[in-house]
Amino acid sequence: ARPNAAQFKQLVVTALRELHGEVGAALPVDVLTYEEKTLSAILRVISSGLVKLWSALTLLGFYQNRRCAFRVLQTSPFLLALSGNSRELVLD
Amino acid sequence: QNILTVCFSVGYSAVALNHVIDFKEKKQEIVKPVSPSELFPSLPIVQGTSKRIKVLTRLTLVVSDPSHCNLLRSTSANIRLYDIIAVFPKTEKLFHIACTTLDVDLVCINVTEKLPFYFRRPPVNMAIDRGIYFELLYTPAIKDSTMRRYTISNAISLMQICKGKVSSQSENKPLELRGPYDVANLGLLFGLSESEAKAAVSTNCRATMLHGETRKSACGVVYTVKKPRKVEEEETAVPACKKAKTQA
Repeated sequence: ARPNAAQFKQLVVTALRELHGEVGAALPVDVLTYEEKTLSAILRVISSGLVKLWSALTLLGFYQNRRCAFRVLQTSPFLLALSGNSRELVLD
Repeated sequence: QNILTVCFSVGYSAVALNHVIDFKEKKQEIVKPVSPSELFPSLPIVQGTSKRIKVLTRLTLVVSDPSHCNLLRSTSANIRLYDIIAVFPKTEKLFHIACTTLDVDLVCINVTEKLPFYFRRPPVNMAIDRGIYFELLYTPAIKDSTMRRYTISNAISLMQICKGKVSSQSENKPLELRGPYDVANLGLLFGLSESEAKAAVSTNCRATMLHGETRKSACGVVYTVKKPRKVEEEETAVPACKKAKTQA
C-alpha cells in the first residue's frame, strides 16, 4: 500500500524523531508536492535544519515494519533550481 | 548484480566488490576474484556523466591473530589480482601492526560493537603518513537503533583521532545503499567539516584506489591528462588586458 500525503508527512516526522528526538520532530518541515505514483516529493525546511532532515531521511530504514530507503535527488535553496538537476551536469 | 545496478543508478562512478576472508575458520584460501566482465557484458554508463562505471575488486581480511598477517607477506598469487586490500583488525596489537607495517590500503573499523581497544594517536598518524585510510560501515545505522548509537559514537571517536581521513562502505542489500551525497551528509553528523565529508566519499576513495595501484606497481603512480593546446590568440589577448588596466 503506497502512503498518501499525510502518511508521507508522518513518515518524515517519524524519521526525524528517531534520529534527533523531540527537538528534531519539532523541526518545521513542509511537504510542498507529493506524487503517489512515483513516490517523490518536494520538501521545504529552514536552512539550518537541512543537515538534520537529510541525515534523518538517509538513516531511515523501516516504516511500519516495511523496509524503505530515501533517495535525495536534489537540494537547493531556490525552488526554481529544482527544475534542472545539477547532478546531471557533465564536465567536458 | 542487482546491487550494482542500483549503485549505478544512484550515482556512484566506481564500485569495489568486496570479498571477506575470515581466518577463524581453518584453511581459508584466497579465491580468485570474480572478474567484472563476467557480471556485465558491457558496463553501463553512470547517470550524469559520459564515462563508464569502474568496477574494482577488493579483499577484506578479518585478522584476529598475528599469524594471519603472514598471508599478506607471502605474496600468494591471488592477492595480486585484487585492486584494493583492506584489513579488519580485532585487537589493539593488530591495529598497531596494520597501521605501521602491513601492506594494505584500508583499515576497517568495526562500528557495531563497543570497540575493544582505544585508538591511540601514534599508530594512527603513522598510518596517515603511509597513505592508509580508515573505513566505516554505515549500514548498521540504517537497520537498528542500538546499532545506530554505536555506529555514531564509534564514528565520532574515529573522526576525532584520525582528522578525517575516512572513507565509507555499504553492505549487501540494495535497499540499504545510499547515494554519495547522502553519505557525505552523514559525514557531517559524525563531526567532519563539509569539505571533509564530501572528500570522504570522493577524494579519499580515489586516493585509496591509487594507493592500491601503487602497491601493485612497486613505486608510484602518476595520472596524466591530455590538455588541449592553447591557441595563439589567447596569449595575445592577455597583454591587451594588461594594457587596458594600466591605462585606466
